[in-house]
Amino acid sequence: MRHHPLAPLSFLLLPLALYAVWVIYPTFATLTLAFTNWDGISPTSEWVGLANFERLFADRIFWMSLSNNLRWVAVFITIPTALGLTLALALNRNVRFDRFLKIAYYLPMVLAFVVIALLWAWIYHPRQGLINSTLFHLYGFLQSLGFDVNPLAARRIGWLGDPNLAMWSIIAAASWQHVGYVMILYLAGLKTVNTELLDAGQVDGASPWQLFRYVTFPQLAPVTTIVLVITVIQSLRAFDLVYVMTRGGPFNSSNVLANFMYIEAFLNYNMGYAAAIAVVLFLISIGFIAVYLYRVVQQEER
Amino acid sequence: MRRILTQALATLLLALLAWGAAQSGVLRYHSYTMDPAPRALDEKIVQMFMERYPDIRVEHSQMDHEDFKQAIRTFLVASPPPDVLTWFAGERMRFFSRLGLAADITDLWLDNDWEDVYPPGAQAMSKTDGRYYFVPAHYYWWAVYYRTDIYDELGLEVAETWDAFLDNCRALDAAGYIPVTLGSRFGWTAAGWFDYLNMRVNGPEFHIRLLDGLESYDSEEVRNTFAHWQQAMDAGCFIDNPAAYNWQEAAEFMVQREAAMYLMGQFILDVVPEDQQAYFDFFRFPIIDPSLPIGEDAPTDGYFIAANAANMENAKLFLEFLGSREVAELWITDVGRLVTRSDVDPALYTETEQKGLQLLQSADYVAQFYDRDTPEDLASRGYDAFVEFMANPGALDRILADLQREAERVFADLE
Repeated sequence: MRHHPLAPLSFLLLPLALYAVWVIYPTFATLTLAFTNWDGISPTSEWVGLANFERLFADRIFWMSLSNNLRWVAVFITIPTALGLTLALALNRNVRFDRFLKIAYYLPMVLAFVVIALLWAWIYHPRQGLINSTLFHLYGFLQSLGFDVNPLAARRIGWLGDPNLAMWSIIAAASWQHVGYVMILYLAGLKTVNTELLDAGQVDGASPWQLFRYVTFPQLAPVTTIVLVITVIQSLRAFDLVYVMTRGGPFNSSNVLANFMYIEAFLNYNMGYAAAIAVVLFLISIGFIAVYLYRVVQQEER
Repeated sequence: MRRILTQALATLLLALLAWGAAQSGVLRYHSYTMDPAPRALDEKIVQMFMERYPDIRVEHSQMDHEDFKQAIRTFLVASPPPDVLTWFAGERMRFFSRLGLAADITDLWLDNDWEDVYPPGAQAMSKTDGRYYFVPAHYYWWAVYYRTDIYDELGLEVAETWDAFLDNCRALDAAGYIPVTLGSRFGWTAAGWFDYLNMRVNGPEFHIRLLDGLESYDSEEVRNTFAHWQQAMDAGCFIDNPAAYNWQEAAEFMVQREAAMYLMGQFILDVVPEDQQAYFDFFRFPIIDPSLPIGEDAPTDGYFIAANAANMENAKLFLEFLGSREVAELWITDVGRLVTRSDVDPALYTETEQKGLQLLQSADYVAQFYDRDTPEDLASRGYDAFVEFMANPGALDRILADLQREAERVFADLE
């Protein structure tokens, strides 16, 4: 069979066209939108230069959202990653029911974000939710033992309604889901760990911690990079949980950039302003995404 | 032969189509009724319309109120947009008609002599620059809803003055009840408190001027409003963590007899089970400064046609039906709303509705509601400010300064 020089191109044509329409064009359109005052429905809009960005950098909600995104990154990069790695290491040995446990831990990942958000909103419900009801009975028990606690106080904890708790409550729900994802990535990575090296280490008398620290973990480095980058990207694009659970409230204490952008675009119809938020979020994300792509390409070439 | 037959059939079909054009085909209707009672009526109305015009197929889609408010702009610029939509009277309607997204239905108003049966106030809220774009169907009153059985148990009297109201809060709080429930997750319920406090403290005229951008949030008057709000908080009036609940969840506390009061629209009864409704009554938000005129909130809901509706004739038929006395009376009998048409049988109103009607008729000024009287993107900043104040009253100075800055930007953009 002869190779026609145009053959690959003709196969690529359709996907490229779709990509151009759905990805490349919107990206540049958003970029230009960020310099206008378009309201989302008027046929025309004015060029306003950097006004949207000036307003953005003076907007308290922007800085609150950004700092919440950063908190999200900080928590996400430590807790679910560590837990996921621990679970992967534990389940990689032949423990009983390992298959069941793997599925159980991975299952939240299969659920849609909206489902998780609703589920956790019920768990967090101040009066009827799982957490406060449990606390209520626990406090009641402690009180019956003579401790000075008021069971009714448990009903007053507003996990999603208290501005100091709302953000952390959402991040906790997100982490619950993310652990399973990290676990699966590490489980896959552990399959590629060279067992001969582990055997050699054992023969040399290395402790389990040393084996992990100096043999297993370094070999997991490519997976770790992927996990970290995915985690950061997940944190930056966090939206669904926030939108469904609190809509960024109370008064923006749990807002994140993506939700702020959505609300400005579709609730307040400041499309231009929302586009400016999108551009800033894009610039923040692009660095991490570049690392991710670089790693993926590198791995594929190997 | 066959060709002739085909042609004849085709001609016949075309003729039939042309003849039935006005009363056949499709009608796309989008509404925001989600609570049980209005939802059932909404479906019933569509059913009745289809029985009357069996050849029109109504594609009815119902959405949650909050989601509808966001989706409507996308609906209106879609091609084709839905034909008929539910919406809010006044400024919120004018926003769309000024952008050319709503159909001019002045002919419909004149053909049906609606100016004879809709009072001048209802006419005004349906017009934009002298033309009609809206059919105002029904409205409701806002008031302080309370549980009569709790009041009876504690021997409390309905408060007419602010001090009496605060005393009731203290008594209820001491008895272990939540004096006032509030679900402010989406902000607007807190805005109800702002509307009333501001109208009672500074008068409805100041309130509307503020919402029109002619007065400042960062002023002594508004600070005084918040000082009264603070008094209510100090008296232990409010439920803890109001921002944790949406309005229905907060109403649940009243249904379960844990909370005694809720500042809410008449639609609160939509979510109260029938066997509990007997315990629900309402009173006028207490008077704070007796020298001021009395303002009340009474938002009006209705219908309009999208400017680019694909089935304009059917849409007008439907609107004609929606604006008819028959449908208006159903809103009274089935859901207990007040209706804008003045020719309905007054005997249809129950005692409660008569009381609500009287509440509004004895008011000196009737406002729509915070987010219907002020530009929408400012309203969402206002909501944040009110919710934040309730959680963090110490930050009032910053909150008001921020809100005023937003107000100046929004009103400058509008010019």
